[in-house]
Amino acid sequence: MDPETAANLLLTGMLRGGLYVLMAVGLALVFGVMNICHFAHGEYYVLGAYAAYFAFVTYSLNPIVSIIVAALFSFMAGVLTDKLLFYPLRKRSKGDWIINAFLLTAGLSVVLQNVFRLAFGMRYRGITAYWDAAIKILGITVSADRVIAFFIALLAIAAMWIFLQKTNTGRAIRGVSQDEQGALLVGINLDSIHTLTFALGSMLAGLGGASLLSLSPAYPFGGNKPLIASWFVVTIAGLGNVQGAIIGGFIVGLFESFSYYFLGQGWQEVASLSLLILLLLFKPTGLFGTQIKSVWER
Amino acid sequence: MVRKISSLGLSLQFLACLAALVLASIFVRNEYALRLLVISLYFGCQAMTFDFTGGYINAVNFGFAAFAGLGAYAAALVAIHTGLGAWAGLLVGALVTGFVGFFTGILTLPLRGIYVSLMSWFVGMTLMALATAMEAVTRGARGLIVPPIFKDATTTAYLYILISMFLVVYIILNLIIRSPIGLAFRAIGQNYDTAQASGVNPTRYKLLNFTISSACAGLFGGFYAHYVGIVTPVVMNMGYTLEIMALSFIGGSGSLVGGVFAAFLLIPMFDSLKSLMEYRLILYGMLLILVMIFYPAGLAGLYQKVSRKIFPKKGKS
Repeated sequence: MDPETAANLLLTGMLRGGLYVLMAVGLALVFGVMNICHFAHGEYYVLGAYAAYFAFVTYSLNPIVSIIVAALFSFMAGVLTDKLLFYPLRKRSKGDWIINAFLLTAGLSVVLQNVFRLAFGMRYRGITAYWDAAIKILGITVSADRVIAFFIALLAIAAMWIFLQKTNTGRAIRGVSQDEQGALLVGINLDSIHTLTFALGSMLAGLGGASLLSLSPAYPFGGNKPLIASWFVVTIAGLGNVQGAIIGGFIVGLFESFSYYFLGQGWQEVASLSLLILLLLFKPTGLFGTQIKSVWER
Repeated sequence: MVRKISSLGLSLQFLACLAALVLASIFVRNEYALRLLVISLYFGCQAMTFDFTGGYINAVNFGFAAFAGLGAYAAALVAIHTGLGAWAGLLVGALVTGFVGFFTGILTLPLRGIYVSLMSWFVGMTLMALATAMEAVTRGARGLIVPPIFKDATTTAYLYILISMFLVVYIILNLIIRSPIGLAFRAIGQNYDTAQASGVNPTRYKLLNFTISSACAGLFGGFYAHYVGIVTPVVMNMGYTLEIMALSFIGGSGSLVGGVFAAFLLIPMFDSLKSLMEYRLILYGMLLILVMIFYPAGLAGLYQKVSRKIFPKKGKS
């Protein structure tokens, strides 16, 4: 393999990894705080893509504004989902929370995909580019969109990180993820923290869908691929481990771009799935381990 | 005699429903209605098989459709490449899928709860990726053309075959559930640690359960391959898993036949209301969500509640 191909693969892997990180952090957050194995995460990605498409094409807004609109849209969708579905389930659930919530998201995924299909048809809605420019990195020309999407992802994760570490609300979220009863004792409002967490997770997914609109058009079933990829990432990182998801995202992105080059599409999937099965078998807590024990105790 | 029959799980109500089904297959001559009956029963059978794992040892097999698809592929390959005939193909399908199920069971041994679902999901996706990638054997996305189960098989014939397969599998599964093995399954499902502490060997029962349910899924999958006449990797798609899962949970988990009733209730309903076709999957998903939130016991729970109200003395617990 000549150095140029290697650099190319490296770059593609990193850029792809940035998106996976964005998706996976949302997934890890929702799992860590709410104990939901979110199976409809990809649908919020698609929702973000649709929102950005309509904002950018139909209302011809500025690209950045379109992406922000999409993020707000998925945030609101997240709030609605939690209030309408998970809140009543939380009130009624007696012990089987993890599996019931998981099945609920599976149903939600089917519903949303087909609502998208009904509302927008099976058409691909994509754009050629937000910014019509190209950037040269490591001697390789990359479209500006990809690079900007990458930096949006990094920015969003950094902002998330600061929010979780430095603000009181962020501390409350981390508190709930560590010990729900303890958080309740010190006066944290669990319901609003759950709603906020779910909305933030959905917002990150929507942000991903919106910023990558020129690469992957909005499509009713377009959420499947990002969903599977982000599940790979959280499995590698350990369920609910937000820090691990950041590193895991880049690992998966790089692994995909290199194995794709060496094995071709069909066998690349087989290879990554086999590796994942081996990892789950020998180190089910993920590469980085996690302190979150809730899944094991139930 | 009556007690012996009911120990096979053939209660009066169950036999009445079965008789209605057989009568329907004799008198219904409408091809569309017959096809609807076959498809409903097929999905009902798969939901029952799914429930054997999901409802008893409380492990949701999230790659279920891939196991059924594996049985379909195995049966198709036997029917195409060997002269052994369709019946041998069905058996081979069941055996191969049972073996892969056993293997998946081994993979999930150190895992619990949601991790089991994740693992079976990954195994299912691997199977689907393999079916797509191994073009020399499976012809990839173009799929395999499968001959009918026997020459000039009519839809009525398929319905009879499926009814007998359903009956046999139901009786076997029910016998297992009512034996001490079934008790062990439920113990593991309700509380893994307590079950282990009271001397139930979870390893053995988990493997047994996975093997049996996968083998049954493969058996029905083989039937489906012959019935539809083509197998593509699409049969292993998540969508089918979700549909079967929805039926099983709407029917009521831990009831075996609940999913069959749900299938006969929902599939013809969605199918006959042509204007609703577009909304079919939306309705499925919404029903699953509503059942999960408001009535986790499902149709079976509803039936028990109602029958207890009507015959208060017969209620056991």
